[in-house]
Amino acid sequence: MNVHLYLFTMRTRDENKVDAIHEKAVEIIVKSGFDGLSMQKLAKAANVSPATLYIYFKDRDDLIQQVAAKEAAVMVAASLENFDPKLSFAEGLTIQWKNRAKYWLQNPKQAKFLEQVRHSPVGQEVYAKVKKEFAQVMTEFVKGAVKRNELISLPIEVYWAVAFAPFYQLVKFHDDGKSMSGKPFKWSDAYMNQTLSLVIKALTPEK
Amino acid sequence: MSHVLIFKTNVESEEQLQQASLLLNATDSIIKWNIDREDIDKVLRVESSLPHISNIMNIMMDAGFACEELLD
Repeated sequence: MNVHLYLFTMRTRDENKVDAIHEKAVEIIVKSGFDGLSMQKLAKAANVSPATLYIYFKDRDDLIQQVAAKEAAVMVAASLENFDPKLSFAEGLTIQWKNRAKYWLQNPKQAKFLEQVRHSPVGQEVYAKVKKEFAQVMTEFVKGAVKRNELISLPIEVYWAVAFAPFYQLVKFHDDGKSMSGKPFKWSDAYMNQTLSLVIKALTPEK
Repeated sequence: MSHVLIFKTNVESEEQLQQASLLLNATDSIIKWNIDREDIDKVLRVESSLPHISNIMNIMMDAGFACEELLD
């Protein structure tokens, strides 16, 4: 066996390289969409050879799936940090908003990437897993809150539209850098807390 | 231990892929393989129990395909 062959085949997984590949893949997809990503383009951007890329990934779809699975796991963990489905409704929803805000503010590219994944055929498998992980804990949270009379019993879509859509609208304003009026907008905890308290009020049963 | 071997080929059509697949499937040391025909280098990726790069190149080239190791 010649020296080159030895080095080639004995090459071990380099996590720094893998991280760089993941990061650049997210960047390219957010900027140019799934079709804008080719193995050659990604290799160049991540400063690795195409051969190296193929050591880690079978092809483009495999790569997208692996990157999506990793980013989804990060997002799920961030969203559920310190969250316990047994918390009171107000406390639990507050933690969820704060976690989501922290995730979006710290990982805007990754968050947008996951939105793209959610709407793509490649992402369906990854997203089904995310949904499953959220579904169990959120169902327990909502059922408990309704049972304790801390939350109005609603169709799940209505609940979600009230509980989270206002949050994502603020995120969207922040992301656009302006609100619907064209006025500059920047995320603040004050805006979040004001919106959140109205949401909690709307979802709390009348005494 | 398995080895990941990467080659540049000229496998383009479905028919060529079928032909290559007969050869590669018949090679005992190959655990898994795929050809990324979307890529400009039509990359053949092989997971093999043996690090026999030249052997795989010969199998492909004997069947009339271009096949060279994709170097770093």
